[in-house]
Amino acid sequence: MSAHFIERPRYTCSLGGAAFAVNALPGGIPILHAPAGCAGSFAWAQNGGSGLQVGGNCGPLAIPSSNLQETEVVFGGDARLHQQVENTLKVVEGGLYVVLTSCVTEIVGDDILSVVRDFQSRGVSILGAHTGGFKGSAYQGYDIVLQAIFKDFVTSGRPRRRGKVNVWGIAPSLDPFWRGNLLGVRGLLESLGLEVNAFFTLEDTLEGIRSAGEAELNVVVSDVYGIEAAVRFEELHGTPFLATGLPIGPSACSAFLQAVAGRLGLDGPVLDAALRQGNRTYYKTLEALTDCYQDMDLQRYAVVVGDANYAGALTRFLAEDLGWLPELTVCTNLLNEEERGRIETRLGEVRNVEPNLVFETDGTEVIGHLNRRWPNAQGHRYHDAFSPAFVLGSSFERELAQALGAPHLSISFPVANRAILDRGYAGFRNGLTLVEDLLSAIVAGR
Amino acid sequence: MSCYDQKVAPRREDRLKTCIAHSGGVCGMGGKAKACMIDDGERGFTQGSICLLLVALAILDSLPETVVLIHGAVGCGSCAHSQNANARSGSAVRFGQAKDAIWLSTALNEVDVISGAEGKLRSAILEADRRYRPKSMAVVSGCVPGLIGDDIDSVILELQPQVSARLVPVHCEGFKTKIWATAYDAVYHGIGKNLLAERNPAVERTPVSAEDERARVLEQEKLKRTVNLMNVSSMGRVDEVELERLLQALGLEANLFPVFAHPDSFHKATRAALSVSTCPTHDDYFLKQLQEQFGVPYLIKGMPIGIRNTSLWLKDIAAHFGLGVEVERLIEAEEREVRAALAPFRTLFEGKKVYLSAGEFRALVTAQLMEELGFEVSGIRMFHHDAFANDEYDKLAETARQDYTINVANCQPFEEANLLKKVKPDLFLGHVNGNGTAAKLGIPTHTIYNTGLAYIGYRGAFEVARRLHRTLRNPAFNRNLSPWAQLPYKDAWYGADPFSYLNTRKDAQ
Repeated sequence: MSAHFIERPRYTCSLGGAAFAVNALPGGIPILHAPAGCAGSFAWAQNGGSGLQVGGNCGPLAIPSSNLQETEVVFGGDARLHQQVENTLKVVEGGLYVVLTSCVTEIVGDDILSVVRDFQSRGVSILGAHTGGFKGSAYQGYDIVLQAIFKDFVTSGRPRRRGKVNVWGIAPSLDPFWRGNLLGVRGLLESLGLEVNAFFTLEDTLEGIRSAGEAELNVVVSDVYGIEAAVRFEELHGTPFLATGLPIGPSACSAFLQAVAGRLGLDGPVLDAALRQGNRTYYKTLEALTDCYQDMDLQRYAVVVGDANYAGALTRFLAEDLGWLPELTVCTNLLNEEERGRIETRLGEVRNVEPNLVFETDGTEVIGHLNRRWPNAQGHRYHDAFSPAFVLGSSFERELAQALGAPHLSISFPVANRAILDRGYAGFRNGLTLVEDLLSAIVAGR
Repeated sequence: MSCYDQKVAPRREDRLKTCIAHSGGVCGMGGKAKACMIDDGERGFTQGSICLLLVALAILDSLPETVVLIHGAVGCGSCAHSQNANARSGSAVRFGQAKDAIWLSTALNEVDVISGAEGKLRSAILEADRRYRPKSMAVVSGCVPGLIGDDIDSVILELQPQVSARLVPVHCEGFKTKIWATAYDAVYHGIGKNLLAERNPAVERTPVSAEDERARVLEQEKLKRTVNLMNVSSMGRVDEVELERLLQALGLEANLFPVFAHPDSFHKATRAALSVSTCPTHDDYFLKQLQEQFGVPYLIKGMPIGIRNTSLWLKDIAAHFGLGVEVERLIEAEEREVRAALAPFRTLFEGKKVYLSAGEFRALVTAQLMEELGFEVSGIRMFHHDAFANDEYDKLAETARQDYTINVANCQPFEEANLLKKVKPDLFLGHVNGNGTAAKLGIPTHTIYNTGLAYIGYRGAFEVARRLHRTLRNPAFNRNLSPWAQLPYKDAWYGADPFSYLNTRKDAQ
C-alpha cells in the first residue's frame, strides 16, 4: 500500500457514490452541481465495475448537472445552480430531487443549501448534500446521502411501530449485487415477520422512506458503510441500530437472525421457525452436491479480496459453511483505525480457519502478501503448496488467479466480466447461488 | 510561437471556436469559413456528460508499459474501469495477452485541498516509478489541482532526472474547457513534448558490412512508403487491419499511432513519409507539429467510413505518393465487390428512416454510409461543431430528400428524447452510453462506435449492414422494454420545443 496513491481505486468518489444512491431511490433524481465530466466518470465506472448495470432513474448521461465552467469558478455558481434546479423541475420527473456538490463547488464555496431552501420553501421535494469528491470514497457519498435523507426527508416525531425495521449498508452500484443482496436481507428480516424498509428495492416507496422514523430498529449489514448515517439517525429519531456483517451463507444468516431477534425481543418460536426454514432450504438443496463435492475433491484454499463488506462475509462463508481454507483476506478499502478495528473483530470471530487479514488498496501487491504467508516451493521437491486454490475478488484478481493457476470469481467491485441483474449472495437461498457460482468456475472446462 | 511552447494546449473553444449548443437544418450548416461561424447557444438546463479527462485516459490507458497517474480526487479516473475492458481486449488482439491497464490516483483529500498536494504528487511519482518500472508515466491533472494551484509541470521537470520513466504531463482540468475534444490536443501536447525523441538512439556509424548497408537502405526505402495512421481509440484492431490492408494494396506501410503504440517507439512517427488522419476531429494539433518540427506532411480530410468516403480517403493518400493509376484500379475492384455484396441488404433497408448521434465527423460520415445502404437520414446529433466537417454537411445537403434537423449537443439526451418522439425513426445509431434513450423508446438501435466491431473501410460498410440487418430482424429487446422502461422526463416536455433551453444559460442570475 502506498501513502501517496491508490492503485486502480475500486470505487469512485463521494459524489459518485451519492449519485448512485439517489439514482436508486424510488423517484430519486440527483442534480449534480459539478463540471460536465463527473456524470460520465460515474457512468463509465458503472459500465466497467457494476456488472454491466449502468444508470438508474436517470440514465447514464441523463443526470441533471450544472456543468460548471471557468466563469462559475471565478464568479460563483449559485445563480447557475438556481437556474438548473428551476429548469430540472420543468423537464425531469421525480419524487425527490437531491442536489449534490462536487470538488469544484466545494472549493469555490457555493452555498447550495440556501438555493435548496429556496425551493423547499416553495414546497418542492428537494434536499442538498455536500459530497465534494475530495471528501472521500463513494461509500462515504452513500453514507452522506443517507444522512441527508434522515435529516431532511424522514419525518420526525412519529410514534414507534412494533415490528418495523429499516435496513441499509449495501451501496447501490458499488456492490454490483446490491439488488439481490438487499432482497436477500429483506427476505431474512421478513422471515421474522418484520415490516421492512430497505430504501432501494422495488418494494420500497418514498412514503415508506418518509416514515422510516417509526422503525424500532435500524439494521446495518456492514461494519463500515452507513454506520455514520446510523449514528445520525439515532440522534435525530431515537432509533437504535444493530451493525452486522453482510449475511452470506447459513452460518452468518443464522447469526444475523439471532442478533435481530435478540435486539427486538422476538418470541423464540418465530426465530426458531425462521432458522429452521432457512437452514433446511440451504442444506436440503445442497445435499444434491454431496457426491460430486467429495468425488471431485472440490475443497479449495482461497484468497479473498474484497471491500469492507465482502472481505469478511466471503471469508466467513468459505470457512464456516463451505469448508474451504481462506488463508488470506484482503480488504481493499481505505479505512480509518476504528473501521479497521471493526473488520478485524469481525474476522476474529470466524470459526474453523484462522483468517489472515491485510488492508491493501493495491491489487498488484496481493501476491506479495500471499507469498509472505505461504512461501514458494524454493526448489523443494516436496512442498505443501497453495494448491488447489481459488481466488474470490474483483475482476482485477484475474491476473492473480492466473499467476496462481487458480479459478476465479468476480464478486467485489469492479466486476467487469459478469452480467448481474438481481443475483445476490446474502440470505439462505442466495448462499446456494454462491456455491453454484464458485463450483461452476472450477468445473467450467469439464 | 507554437502551441507546444506553452505548458497547456489551448482550449478548442479558443483555438477552433468549437461550440456545443446549436440547432439548424443540414442544408445551412456547411459554411466555407476556416473557423466555426456559429456562436455557442449554451443551455440553461443541462445534463452531465463527459470531460476531456475521460477521453485522454481512453488513449493513455492503452499504452503498453505505461502508468497513468491521475492527480485529482479519487473519482477522476474511475472511467478507466470501462476503458480497461478496451485495454484488455486491445492488448489481447494485438499482443496475444489481455492485460489490465495500470492507473493510479493521488486521491486528493480535504487536507491536500487546503495545504496543496505537490508534495504528494512528487512522492507518488517516485514510488510509482520504483514499483512499476514503466517506460513512461502520464501525469494527468483533474479539476482539483487546477483549483488549488498545483504546478504539475514544475514537479515533473524537477523529478525527471531522478526517475527512469519518461514523464508526460497531461492537463485535464475539466472545468476549463467545455469541449472535451480538447483532450486530443492535451494528450498530443504531452506526447509531442516528451515522447518523440528516440531513447538511446543508435550511434551513427559507417556501415561495417554489406549487410549493414543493405539493411540501412532497406529501412530508408521502407520509411519512404510509411504512413502514420492516426488512431486515438475510435478504431478497434479490426478497423486498423482493414486500413492496413488497403494501404498495403497500394504498396504502403502503416505506422499505427498512438493507441497501443509502445512509448519507446513514438519516434517512428517523426520519420514517416506522411501522416494521415482517420478523423479530422482528432488529429490536427499533432499533425501540424509533425510537419513543422519534423517535416512530415499530412492529410486531414474525410474519414474512411462508407464506400464513397473510403475511396476518397484512399485517393488523397495515393495522390500524395503518385499512385493515381493504382488507386483507381484498387477502388474499382473493391467498390464493385462490396456493392454487389450489399445489394441484397439495400432492398431491405430502402426507405427506412435513420437517426444518428455521435462525434461530429463520425455522425456525418456514418450518415452518408446509411444513405449508401438505402436508409433515409432523418436527423443527426453531434457532440460539438467546428469547421472541420463543412464538406460533409455539403455532401449530405446534396443528397437530403428534405432539410432535416442538426442538433449540436454534448449528449443532452432530453433534447434527443423530445426529437425522437417527434421524428419516430425506424433505426437509431448512437455513441456508447448514448443508445439508452432510443432503446427505451422502443426504437431499434445500434452502437455507432465500439472498438470490438468493424465500421471502417469497405469491410466496415459490409459489416455494419450485416449488423443492422440482424438488429432490424428482431428488435424485440427494445420493443419489449419500452412499455415498462421510463425515461425521466415529464410528459409536458415532449410537447415543448426541443430547443427551448438553447441560449438560456446566459439568463442565470
